[in-house]
Amino acid sequence: MISKEDLEHLAQISRINLTENELEKFPKQLDKTIEYIDILEELASDDSVNLDLQELTFEELRMDEISMSDDKQLNKNITEDGFLRGPKMK
Amino acid sequence: MSMVMIGLEIHAQITALNSKLFCSCRGNYRDLRPNSNICEICCGLPGSLPIINQKAIEYSTMTSIALGCKVPDKIMFYRKNYFYPDLPKNFQITQYNVYGISSIGIEGKYELDDAKQIRISRIQLEEDPGRIVYSEGGMNVRNTALIDYNRAGVALIEIVTEPDFTGPKEVRQFLNKLSLTLEHLGVCDTLLEGSVRCDVNVSMNGGNKVEIKNINSFKEVEKAINYEITRQSSVYNRNLNIELETRHWDDKKKITFKARSKEEEHDYRYFPEPDIPVIVLGSDFVSNLKQRMPELPNQRFERFILKYKLSEHTSNILINDKKLADFFESTLKLHFSPTEIANILVTDFKSLIEDDTESTDYLKNLKVKPEHIAELAKLIEGNKISRITAKDILVKIFESGKLPSEVVNSSNSYKIADEKTIMDAVQSVFDTEKSAVEDAKKNREAINFLLGKVMKFTNGRADPKIAMRLINSKLSAPEKQ
Amino acid sequence: MTKLDDLLAYEVVEGLTEGHFTAEEYVISILKRIEEVEPKVHSFITLDTEGALSSAKIIDKKIREKEDIGQLAGVTVGIKDNISTQGIRTTCASKILENYVPTYDAAVIRNLKENGAILLGKLNLDEFGMGSTTEYSRYHPTHNPWNLDYVPGGSSGGSGAAVAAGECTVALGSDTGGSIRCPSSFCSVVGLKPTYGRVSRSGLISYANSLEQIGPICRSVKDLVMILNIISGKDAMDNTSMPSSPITVPNKSNKLNVAVIKELITGSDQEVAKSVFSATEKFQEIGFSCEEVSIKNLHYALPSYYTLASAEASSNLARYDNIRYGFDYPIGEYKWDTYFSNVRENFGEEVKRRILIGSYVLSSGYYGKYYLKARRLRSLLRLELLTLFKKYDLLIGPTMPILPFKFGEKIDDPIKMYLVDVNTVIANLAGIPAISLPIGFSNGLPIGLQIMAAPFEEQKLIDASYELEKVIHIQRRPNSI
Repeated sequence: MISKEDLEHLAQISRINLTENELEKFPKQLDKTIEYIDILEELASDDSVNLDLQELTFEELRMDEISMSDDKQLNKNITEDGFLRGPKMK
Repeated sequence: MSMVMIGLEIHAQITALNSKLFCSCRGNYRDLRPNSNICEICCGLPGSLPIINQKAIEYSTMTSIALGCKVPDKIMFYRKNYFYPDLPKNFQITQYNVYGISSIGIEGKYELDDAKQIRISRIQLEEDPGRIVYSEGGMNVRNTALIDYNRAGVALIEIVTEPDFTGPKEVRQFLNKLSLTLEHLGVCDTLLEGSVRCDVNVSMNGGNKVEIKNINSFKEVEKAINYEITRQSSVYNRNLNIELETRHWDDKKKITFKARSKEEEHDYRYFPEPDIPVIVLGSDFVSNLKQRMPELPNQRFERFILKYKLSEHTSNILINDKKLADFFESTLKLHFSPTEIANILVTDFKSLIEDDTESTDYLKNLKVKPEHIAELAKLIEGNKISRITAKDILVKIFESGKLPSEVVNSSNSYKIADEKTIMDAVQSVFDTEKSAVEDAKKNREAINFLLGKVMKFTNGRADPKIAMRLINSKLSAPEKQ
Repeated sequence: MTKLDDLLAYEVVEGLTEGHFTAEEYVISILKRIEEVEPKVHSFITLDTEGALSSAKIIDKKIREKEDIGQLAGVTVGIKDNISTQGIRTTCASKILENYVPTYDAAVIRNLKENGAILLGKLNLDEFGMGSTTEYSRYHPTHNPWNLDYVPGGSSGGSGAAVAAGECTVALGSDTGGSIRCPSSFCSVVGLKPTYGRVSRSGLISYANSLEQIGPICRSVKDLVMILNIISGKDAMDNTSMPSSPITVPNKSNKLNVAVIKELITGSDQEVAKSVFSATEKFQEIGFSCEEVSIKNLHYALPSYYTLASAEASSNLARYDNIRYGFDYPIGEYKWDTYFSNVRENFGEEVKRRILIGSYVLSSGYYGKYYLKARRLRSLLRLELLTLFKKYDLLIGPTMPILPFKFGEKIDDPIKMYLVDVNTVIANLAGIPAISLPIGFSNGLPIGLQIMAAPFEEQKLIDASYELEKVIHIQRRPNSI
């Protein structure tokens, strides 16, 4: 069961404020979802199954070369010095 | 004495790389306008994917080999999920050791000078976050943080040791050795600002482990440990419990302080990075790399002794300053005289540069080049100048960048081998140092004093062998009436 | 002659090349069609009329000057609004990205542009691709052109509806758990989720990276192949992309072995099952062999899918903290973590639910219970399917277990909504290609057949679809609009 405290903790580590309405209805909805995925527990834990779908060889990896785009990647809240303004830290 | 256990978590940037770990922006982010070294990947724009740098894997593998780690055939990347404004994606791509998957290096051993072994738990390849500058703020800035993502995505090697250190001295020794190794491998220029950082955990008397974060240079590590040992001892002596906690190192006040506990409460929710497939290094990867990997400090030390017949002492001085050792070997290429050149470098040369070794490229900026030292050695060996003159000449070369022969010519510093000239000098010394002459007649030890005077008289140019012979013969000659 | 706005993609290219009409004329006809039906269907979030017209003029100029115009010249393409388009805002149907204008094009967009395709604008979806109806779009729901009271399916509902309604020649969608095939089925168009890695994801705004692919949604199999061939291939900006060979159509047709997945039939509505049976008969009539098979791990597929998708989503969506891009929010007012939580309140309910579930299943203590088990099921399912593909060329069943439903029917019960994806998630988990092909109607509501093949066996999928399309004649344009 997901308690209100559990929900608040999940919301905190996910950095999401929930509305009154969500705080009200989420515990039940999330419970149902978790109950639904709980059937995964029936699966045996067998470490012999290879979980990897894709592999890359070393040779296929990107060469260490510089290539800079001229595009301005950030266009919001930039100071005259080029810094990005963020929320206060303390 | 109480028992201290110390473990380290070191972050070293791979400063050798041209580009970042997952994109083609510059690896060297220093001295650039804020947010000018960024692309959609390193500032985490929606839809961008990490494209791993081949060379970063090579450098981190070399580091793992040098620290005695096992390198697995396959490596994976993981996401470490936590929110912070310097982290463009609010997760960090790193490695993780769990469920049979390992990071680039595990289970290493690294030996200190007294043969004590420090166990390396793991070596990971990961990305550096951006930088936050805290502004105090005027009217318009109002306590906002200023963020620069130029550093975001720079490749970092994380080295984690077991808590095998018993005191700050061992830690210092380890870090010096590690710096040297990283430098020899060409992985990291540890003198660059911010290129190495260290977290330390300290526990005493089997008590709780205290982690100290934010130590931004190797030099500060020892201070932080000393402070922490003192702090913990005093807590212990008051019969109080040492709390399991994270503390921060205050660079300015030189103290550790308790971090607000809520900030450290992390559940990183690691899981495999879906955008990077498993990377298969293959069974030959490590053996091939070992073949073409740069020489490690230990190997170089042995070689200096074997090939150049240097003493352990001299070899050690050279090895402990990679740039000096490189300078030495470049000089040898011009003139193969290991003992003479090593001698010049570890004595006179080193004393002249002592103050500058903190800056990264101190040898590059010198006016003295291997050509100078090679020629100087030739002049000494050819008996053209004396060793004493050599030192003065070196000083002049340092100032002017002129070749030794030029300096010698212009300052008339050639060694005096002409017996008549030296004899004149001996005669004047004998004339002025009468009591010393008498002493020398009785006590042969005092001859050196006379020799010193003769050398001084000739500005160090007299051939000391000839001068000695002449002094000796003059002392034993019957006195003229 | 067919009305201009009703032409298929290959007819557009032919018509242009042969000079029957100009690109501008064609684009104007499409824009008129949009003007006419968009108020009822609401497929678009952003329409780029000017951009489309100017691209058309460029093509016409090239034709006049006898320059190469590309394989998709004049074909108008609607783009799901989670695929990055340089200079055109890309919202993911989220309030969080309301003002986000990408600085780069997704790889598929570059491919389309290079081949002369004309971008019309950005199509509606469930916020970040999370949903099966477009009801979770933060802008407006899209209506099913076949019956405006019904949902068009999702999450690429805008793409499915726009193609069905003739608002664009073809569209791109993305498919994480059925998001291309569901709306293709509900809107009676052809939609393909390619093999994982066939199409670059660079620029696709991630929901669940390890599961999703971009794919085409079209009105004919031939059109679909044209688009697929253009967007396929290894891309340097996506480490998970892989090379593939182009598909040909019509192909030298082989008689293929088809197996119907029993569980998917028994789990479906009667009318849907009936329609699939009649399609099976058609296959037999054209000489394909048809058998019935069972998939033993199917039971766990959907819980496994929701575990993995939510886990990845919770991490992917962490970057939306409104610092680097986003909407206006006073930056100096709150401390950073409060700021983050406040701005992220702007996610819609379904997105929040999945982020919370994702954080839950990745939390320490639950990782082994959910995430690892889900990964394991995924591998088992893939193995089981690969074994089946040794015996059968294709696995078939209904794309959706139910007919399109009315707005509001499932929106209040997340589990009910998740269950409609039960047939489609198989292909995402296994990384195999799957197509949805229109095969009939029940009470005027479309039914789609899902065909799956082994990894990179798209050619077989296309061969079967092309043959079936020839013998099943489906009304292409809805009467209702």
